Formats: sequence, structure tokens, C-alpha cells
Amino acid sequence: MTSIGTGYDLSASTYSPDGRIFQVEYANKAVENSGTAIGLRVKGGVVLAVEKLVHSKLLVPGANRRIQTVDRHIGMATAGLLADGRHLANRARDEASNYRELYRTPPPLKSLADRLGLYVQAYTLYSSVRPFGISTIFGAVDKDGPSLYVVEPSGVFYGYHGAAVGKGRQLAKTELEKLDLASISMRQAVLDAARIIYLVHDDAKEKEFELEMSWIGDETNGLHLPVPKDLFDEAERKAKEALETFE
Amino acid sequence: MASSSVYSSPGFDFSNQLRNNFLSEKGLPLPKATSTGTTIVGCLFEDGIVLGADTRATEGPIVADKNCEKIHYISESIRCCGAGTAADTEFTTALISSNIELHALHTGRKPRVVTAMTMLKQMLFQYQGHIGAALVLGGVDATGPNLFTIHPHGSTDKLPYVTMGSGSLAAMAVFESSWRPNMSRDEALTLVKHAISAGIFNDLGSGSNVDACIITATHTEMLRNVEMPNQRVEKEKKYGFRRGTTAWKRETVKSLIVEEEITHVLGEAMDTT
Amino acid sequence: MDHIDMQQLKSGEVNLGTSIMAVQFDGGVVIGADSRTTTGSYIANRVTDKLTHVHDRVYCCRSGSAADTQAVADVVHLHLQMYTQTAGAPPSVHAAAAIFQKFCYENKDALSAGIIVAGWDKEVGPSVYNIPLGGGLFRQPWAIGGSGSTYVYGYCDATYQEGWGRDETVNFVKNTLALAMSRDGSSGGVIRMCVITEDGVERLFVPGDKLPKFWEGREVLGAGKTIPIDSGAVPMAVEA
Repeated sequence: MTSIGTGYDLSASTYSPDGRIFQVEYANKAVENSGTAIGLRVKGGVVLAVEKLVHSKLLVPGANRRIQTVDRHIGMATAGLLADGRHLANRARDEASNYRELYRTPPPLKSLADRLGLYVQAYTLYSSVRPFGISTIFGAVDKDGPSLYVVEPSGVFYGYHGAAVGKGRQLAKTELEKLDLASISMRQAVLDAARIIYLVHDDAKEKEFELEMSWIGDETNGLHLPVPKDLFDEAERKAKEALETFE
Repeated sequence: MASSSVYSSPGFDFSNQLRNNFLSEKGLPLPKATSTGTTIVGCLFEDGIVLGADTRATEGPIVADKNCEKIHYISESIRCCGAGTAADTEFTTALISSNIELHALHTGRKPRVVTAMTMLKQMLFQYQGHIGAALVLGGVDATGPNLFTIHPHGSTDKLPYVTMGSGSLAAMAVFESSWRPNMSRDEALTLVKHAISAGIFNDLGSGSNVDACIITATHTEMLRNVEMPNQRVEKEKKYGFRRGTTAWKRETVKSLIVEEEITHVLGEAMDTT
Repeated sequence: MDHIDMQQLKSGEVNLGTSIMAVQFDGGVVIGADSRTTTGSYIANRVTDKLTHVHDRVYCCRSGSAADTQAVADVVHLHLQMYTQTAGAPPSVHAAAAIFQKFCYENKDALSAGIIVAGWDKEVGPSVYNIPLGGGLFRQPWAIGGSGSTYVYGYCDATYQEGWGRDETVNFVKNTLALAMSRDGSSGGVIRMCVITEDGVERLFVPGDKLPKFWEGREVLGAGKTIPIDSGAVPMAVEA
């Protein structure tokens, strides 16, 4: 790292001479250390899945969820610092609620991503704060149909057909690119999501992980809900099978 | 009860409110708020706007000023006639004029009449009618000639000919019978003079002279006292006393110059070394 | 009045003692209003436009205090411009009506505003929302408002039918407003109407002497008695 020892990396309000903000780049490192999170925008809905690394066997299964609900029709999955993800979820809920209050209509995901992009960006301007150590995948089905956005630590956000953030994002992206996202069903997307998470998990470094999946769309009547147990179990089983044939 | 005192402390004075509450407790009617009378008008013609006003200012039944100016400057090609509380019209138009100048400097463009109209209506609405300014706003800008009325509560109307103040009914009667679209400058000025005269002669609150202002895209002409129908005429007789009317018996002349004798007392001079 | 009320001094407020109306039909909405604005018994404006633009395909009809409704419409206009800028698409009529309702409800103690919001949007097509005095929000196939509306509720109930086209709806609005204006002293002047469809907004105008006519009370009680002139009465003497 060229930045070490130069002093340009001590504050988010300082540029390096070549125009970079190291604090934001470090925030991206925090995301890269985290378990993978993916999102698939398919026909009739959106599926979110995360690889939640379990650092202790003493933890209660299902604790510290990394997929959260923002509004009835909006879900989010974070990769990075867990606490930052929970803070952004709260902010997202406030934004969604304010939008509902003013326009009496469910917020479109684009407007929400726009607002949260501004919020996250504000944390890259001041020496007194630290940028968010998370990349967040937002999924929703709104008046314009299914949509998927990723908000990065710099505050930029992009819309995607399929998105992957965290440790295994490179492999996950190659796998997502192989899928025909525009035409597969939500159920198929759940199976693919589980398979990809199992595939990108690095058994050698991290032993334990928990799969977390949610979906929004025709199957859930437009609500953001966890994937039902029977489908979840089927997806997990098939993912493990696929893993054996893959290698 | 607040007792009256020569000394007044700094800050707001609420003694009138205490007085009103006291009167209200006794079941007496409030001191009547008097509205000031005026006739102001505005009228669109083929290439501009003519504004008109009378010049009487009143304090209840008393004529406080026989030749005041009611057509206020907003910008070079925007002017505003004021009716209602004189102080309110004076200060609101002065404030908006100032803000319009700053706005023009800021945008680098000539100010628009709608901008002044919006500033005025938003201010008057904020004060919920407590600023008693009833205005006729007119001018020419990039969009052409514009004419508005603004009521004290902040509502506005956009019309080709408008009147306001206590004489508005008399003036409107003139407009309703004689206004035509695309009048010439001279026809419009004559019409405005007639409308104001109708106010001056038929409304108690209006009187004295006619002021007018003609605004076109290239030029603004302020016609102060274009009509003076109430000039004092020469008195038919002299009412002064002729010299020698009073007889006198004795004459005494007194010197009013004070004479003072000054004695210089010699003493030691001050040491100025 | 024995109680002294400071509010009394607030009199002289400009009122839209009005007849306003909005009706939806298959391809759009027709909105209409009379043109009278009054201060007490004086008509401050006889050609008022109470059909106020708040967005490309959303208009409102204003009744109550002129100052209050103009202020509210201006604020909503501002909000809808901001909405269009951030959302990158025009607002729904419902969203516009919701903003109107928010201001009317939250400031109900300070406002006297009865507003009908109507327009066309991509999601639901034509729609009409009524926001009466207290700040409620009601979607209706047709809505009437203002002081003149009380005279024509029965007429509307008896006349309105679903499935009308543009021209039938325009006629319904025109007739209803003419009836309201003829019975309500605070309404009158001309009829202004707008037809809002996907394609655009068309303005219609009915001059005061071309209003639809209904029963006006003539020649029902028979011809009146004429008084003979040569009754010996001499005209009053008038100076030169």
C-alpha cells in the first residue's frame, strides 16, 4: 500500500495527492473480509442470499441476521460490518416511512437507493466520522416491477440484474453471469442462489457458515419474506449435492 | 393593570393588549380599527401598463397628507400602488424592492413582475392579513406586460384592468364601462385619469390629485400630479385688516438689545510652560 | 355580539364562495368551476381561474379562502416539481392528492380550503380526489364542492351514470355548474373547464351569456296585469 505512512489515510476528509480517499478504500476492505451476499433479479421477483460466517459454535442458530426488512416490499442484505448494516437498515426504514407519509404510496426502490446513497456519501466528507464499512444489496418489487440495487461505501449505487458483494464476489459474479436471470422463476433462483453461496464458501479458511435466504415477488404476494423451510431445505440439499459433482 | 409611565423599557410594548383585554372584560367594544381610504388602479394597454393613484392619506376622519405618493418603486420597470395601512404598504414595497434588486444582481437578469408578486404574496400570507397592504402591482418584463392585485391575506389576481382601495368600486365602474382591449397609450392614460377622478370625487376616503405611471418595455414615465382638480382658488375677498383699523393713543419704543458691562479682573496668567 | 373577538378584525378576507366540480370518465377527467371571487358583497374578480395547474396532468379546483388555497396549491406545485426531479417520472394523482391532504389536515385550524384534485396518471388512468374542509381524502368517481355545490347534490345523484364518454361528461359538468351558479349568490360569471387526458389538457370556456338555461320562473303564473297609464296619475315633477 502506497498510502501507509503518508498521512493521507487518516481522515475521510483528506484526499491523497492522486485524488483518492483512502478511508473509503479501507471501508471497501472491510466489505471484502465479510461473507458473501448475493441478489438475483429474476422473472416475477428478487431473491437475496448471504453466507453468514459463524465465528463461534456457541452462537444460537439464526442469530445476527444479515438480511433485513426495510418495508413490506423491500429487503436488504449487507456485507461488511454487521452493526453498520443494522444502522443503515434503520435509516432505510425511516426513509421508507417518510416517503409513505408524504406520498401515501409505497416507496419505489430507486428513490430509496437514491436517498441512502446520499446518506452514505455524507460519511465520506468529514474527519469526525468513519465511512460505512458495508456494501448493501437492496431488493424490491415496486410499481416498476422487480429491482435490485447495490449501495457501496463511497455512496455510489448501481442497479443490477444480479449482484454479489463480500469475500467470494468474483466467483459469485461469474456464476451469476451464467444464469438466464430474465427468464428463470423465483423458485429456480432460490436453488441457484443457495448453490452459489455454497460454491463460493471457502472451506479451507472458514469452517462454519449459515445460509440465509429471502425473497420478494409473485410467490410472496409482493412481500419481503424468508424463503419457506421446505424450499430452503431443498435448496440447501441440492446445493451440497452440486458441490460434490462440481469438484 | 399597566399604568402609563413616561419611562418605556426596551422591547415590545404590550400595553395596548392589556387595555383591550380590560375593555373586553368590561364588555365594552374594542377601539375601532379604521381603514385608510384610497383609490388605486392599473390598466393594460397595447404596449404596456398604466398605474394610477389618488394622493390623499387619512387618519380616521382627518386628511393627514393632501399630496402623498402611493405609486411605489419596485424596480425600473415594475411599480406598485398601495392601499390600506400606509406604513404597511410603504415598508412592504420598500422591502420587496430591495429584495428584487438583490435578486436581479444575483441572477444577472431583469426582474420579472411574477417574482415580485410571489415575494409579496408569500410575505403577506405569512402575516395572515395582519400587514394591511392591498396592492396593485404592474410592470413590463421579458414575458411582456403584467398586472396583478394582491390582497392583504396573500391572494392574487391577474387581470387586464384592476382597482383597489375604498374608491375601487367607483373606479371599477369607469373601467367596466369604458375599457377596451389594445387601447393606445393616450387612451389608457385618459381612462386611468377618469377612474381615479371617480374615486376622488365619489369616495370620501380618496381625494386631492391624480398620480399616474406609464410603463412600457423601453421606458417608465412617472406622471406626478397629472391632474390637480382640487387646487385652491384665489379668495374672492381679502379678509385681512387694513392698516390703521385700530386706533392708538401712545407710542413707546423699547430697545431689546441687552447691554452688559464687563469688568476685567487682572490676575496671574495660567502657567502654560 | 357581546363577546369581543379579535378574529373579527380579520374580515375582508377574499373568498372563493364557489361552485367547483370534477368527474372522471373512461379516457380522462373533466374539471370545472365558476369564476366568481368575492370580498363580502363585492365581486373582486368576475373571471377568476379556479382550475389550478399543479403538474402536467394533475389539476386542482379551489374553494374557500383565495389566499389559503393559492398558498397550498403553490406549495404542492413545489413538492411535485421536486418529486419529478428525484423520481425521474411524473407523480400519480394519488401522490399529489396525498400532499394536498397532508397540508390541509396538518393546518386544519389555520386554513379554510376545500380542494378537489383530479388528473390522469400512468398507473390508474383518470382519478378524482376530494379533500373537504377537515383535511380528509376521498377518491370518488365525481366530486362537487364550494358553497354552490349544496344546491346540486340531488341533480348529480339523479343524473350521473358510469360509462360516459368525454362529451357527455363535459355536458354534465357544464349543466351542473350552471344550475349551481343560478341558485348560489356567491357563484357566477363564466364556466371554465379542463379535459385532462393522456394526450394533454384541453381548456373549455363558456361565457356568462352562453350558459345552459333551465327553468327561470317566467310565464308560469300567467301574464301579469298591466296597469292602465291614463289613471289620472301625473308623473313626478323633476327639475329640468
